[in-house]
Amino acid sequence: MDIPALQKKLDEAKYICSGDVAATLLVALRLGRPLLIEGPAGVGKTEIAKVMASALDRELVRLQCYEGLDESKALYEWNYQKQLLSIQVQMDRRDADELTRSLFSDEYLLERPLLRAIRSEKPVVLLIDEIDKSDEEFEAFLLELLSEMQVTIPETGAVKASSIPFVVLTSNRTRPLGEALRRRCAYLYLQYPDIDKEMSIIKAKRPNVNEHLAVQVAQAIHDLRQSETILKKPSIAETLDWVSALEALGISDLTKETARQTMGFVLKSSEDLEAAGDVLYGESCGCGHDHDHGHEHCGACGHHQA
Amino acid sequence: MSVYLEKLAEFSAMLRSQGLAVGTQETADACEILTVIDLSDRETVRLALQAVYAKSREEQAVFQHCFDGFFVSAEQRDALRRKQEAEAREMAQRRREAEQEMQVNGQPMDLREDLQEVYVQMGEDKRDQLRQMLEKMKGNLQRSPKLYSNFIRSVFMRFLLEQQMAMEDDAAVGSEELDPDMALLYRDISQFKDADIPRAAALIAAISRQLDAELSRKRQGQGHSGKLDFRRTIRRGLETGGSFYRLSYRKKRQKKRRLVLLCDVSGSMLQFSEFVLRFIKSMTEVSESSQTFLFSEEVREVDAFALQNMDAFRDHVRSSGLFGRGTDLGGALEELCQRRPAPLGPSSTLLILSDTKTIDLPRAAQAVVEARRQAGRVLWLNPIPQRKWPYMASIQTMASLCQMAPCSTLEELTRSCRKLMK
Repeated sequence: MDIPALQKKLDEAKYICSGDVAATLLVALRLGRPLLIEGPAGVGKTEIAKVMASALDRELVRLQCYEGLDESKALYEWNYQKQLLSIQVQMDRRDADELTRSLFSDEYLLERPLLRAIRSEKPVVLLIDEIDKSDEEFEAFLLELLSEMQVTIPETGAVKASSIPFVVLTSNRTRPLGEALRRRCAYLYLQYPDIDKEMSIIKAKRPNVNEHLAVQVAQAIHDLRQSETILKKPSIAETLDWVSALEALGISDLTKETARQTMGFVLKSSEDLEAAGDVLYGESCGCGHDHDHGHEHCGACGHHQA
Repeated sequence: MSVYLEKLAEFSAMLRSQGLAVGTQETADACEILTVIDLSDRETVRLALQAVYAKSREEQAVFQHCFDGFFVSAEQRDALRRKQEAEAREMAQRRREAEQEMQVNGQPMDLREDLQEVYVQMGEDKRDQLRQMLEKMKGNLQRSPKLYSNFIRSVFMRFLLEQQMAMEDDAAVGSEELDPDMALLYRDISQFKDADIPRAAALIAAISRQLDAELSRKRQGQGHSGKLDFRRTIRRGLETGGSFYRLSYRKKRQKKRRLVLLCDVSGSMLQFSEFVLRFIKSMTEVSESSQTFLFSEEVREVDAFALQNMDAFRDHVRSSGLFGRGTDLGGALEELCQRRPAPLGPSSTLLILSDTKTIDLPRAAQAVVEARRQAGRVLWLNPIPQRKWPYMASIQTMASLCQMAPCSTLEELTRSCRKLMK
């Protein structure tokens, strides 16, 4: 597979991406390296793993990271209740060694996402989502898996991957990741899409939306993201939600009033909602410039007019 | 193939010299990926190598710079060589001119080599200023050669030092303009505009959350007290049919250090102090049991929680009568040391936020020594960029008396706060 072929597959899965994203994905795939994706929240980091699973026709195994996540939740755990029950049932069995051995067999092993991914006969896409939320100990624990594609279970020994999964790690950069982890991965930084790409995404995901509305929404979202007063920038999912909301209300033209009514789908805090009016329509601009120049930016103060 | 390998090894070495963690594995990966992509497409090669070599956003910027410098066509290389040769010729010419110009009474001026180089590199307008000064002094020089040659040398030195500092500032500008947040993280706090403040406040909140999480994780990992927690052990035992398979222990009690903040709010320090205060107070893990004092010529104790807003902070400083006055660090520290009940003690950390510019430096130095004796630990946060420290005697004096950390940017402030948590 080459870059255009991969890009075509991603297009088919309705993931609009640039050549550099496709190139990085291909490099990671070819080298069998895990791919570490960083970027602001809502740029489509997790989506990459999902569309890669679809493009490569593989199962997606997902591990959501959080503070306190440990190997019993990520890798495996023994089914203690079942083991104890089994001991009590087989109490009078003479061969104690055999009983002990049987207690640490597959029958009593609870497979968690990491073990499931590497024991799968068919290669899968393993998504380790928001790795920055996990503890440093867990990050260190992942090193063996990411470099050797194997994990060690103390009671049974090392488990080698039956097939090499395509591993995608995502991070919002809430804490710096260790050098050791970074070194084992190919790296991709995703940014918010530009207006044209946002338009393509809207058209791909909401094919029935009218062209004029799509342009207006993409422009407005771009302005909100560029504005310094908006603290939580709108994500791509929020753009699509906004379009859906406008469609559901039968709105085909984004005016000051319709934007105000539906802005809650894009911005989720009262401060941002308050600032949005200024950003999009220069409600309390106070810059002293003439803002009656149609749906354009005021070059002097950066405000936007409807 | 061996030519490619050799080039890649050279490129790896170049990246390594620029601070990227490039090992043999990366070079091997780069080699492997080059065998499967179209080598005639420069952009594809760049993207493929970037994915292999650069492991963070910062490293991507360094990589792109190195790639553009390393992989050039023969014409570009020749043009670059010609340009470098022309520049080298021009510099040699300027050095010769400088040697002739920096003479007093026919003798070369006694100046450090790095300052001579500053003279060579600085703009023609600045050199003109010095030439004009020399011209004006010619008459005086003939009357009293020794006195005026020393005076001219000191003027030259001062001017060149200022230029050197300015050149270093220029070199720092734009080097981290990767994304808006990152740029803000590396920008001098005193240069923040009003429009930056909401974003900076959001960034501070995010960083302090991160630091809090790091600190609580560190504390979680500090083991147990050795005493069994019966309630938890019995509860967990129920999960395994009454067998106490896993024991639970009581956690160690954490003794947090008391923090005493002494913030300089005179003149240019105001914005910086507000940011630092906001930063430190938003770290709940270090802000429990702390006292905050603001000072210029006098000291006032304040409730930092009531001042977590730029406007409230400025209003308070103005109404307290501290604003627009000089800085008397010695007086402030003496008052802090004599205060009863004593804010400083063996379990307290004194955090001084100041640029070390104070009246009566010897008295201030003595007061720092006394504060260090009373407090368990003294940490100085200095908003002057570290590269300027060698030029300022007051900083060198204070840095020799206590631990000093730079925090002219939010990134440096984060690093200093990590130091504070240790």
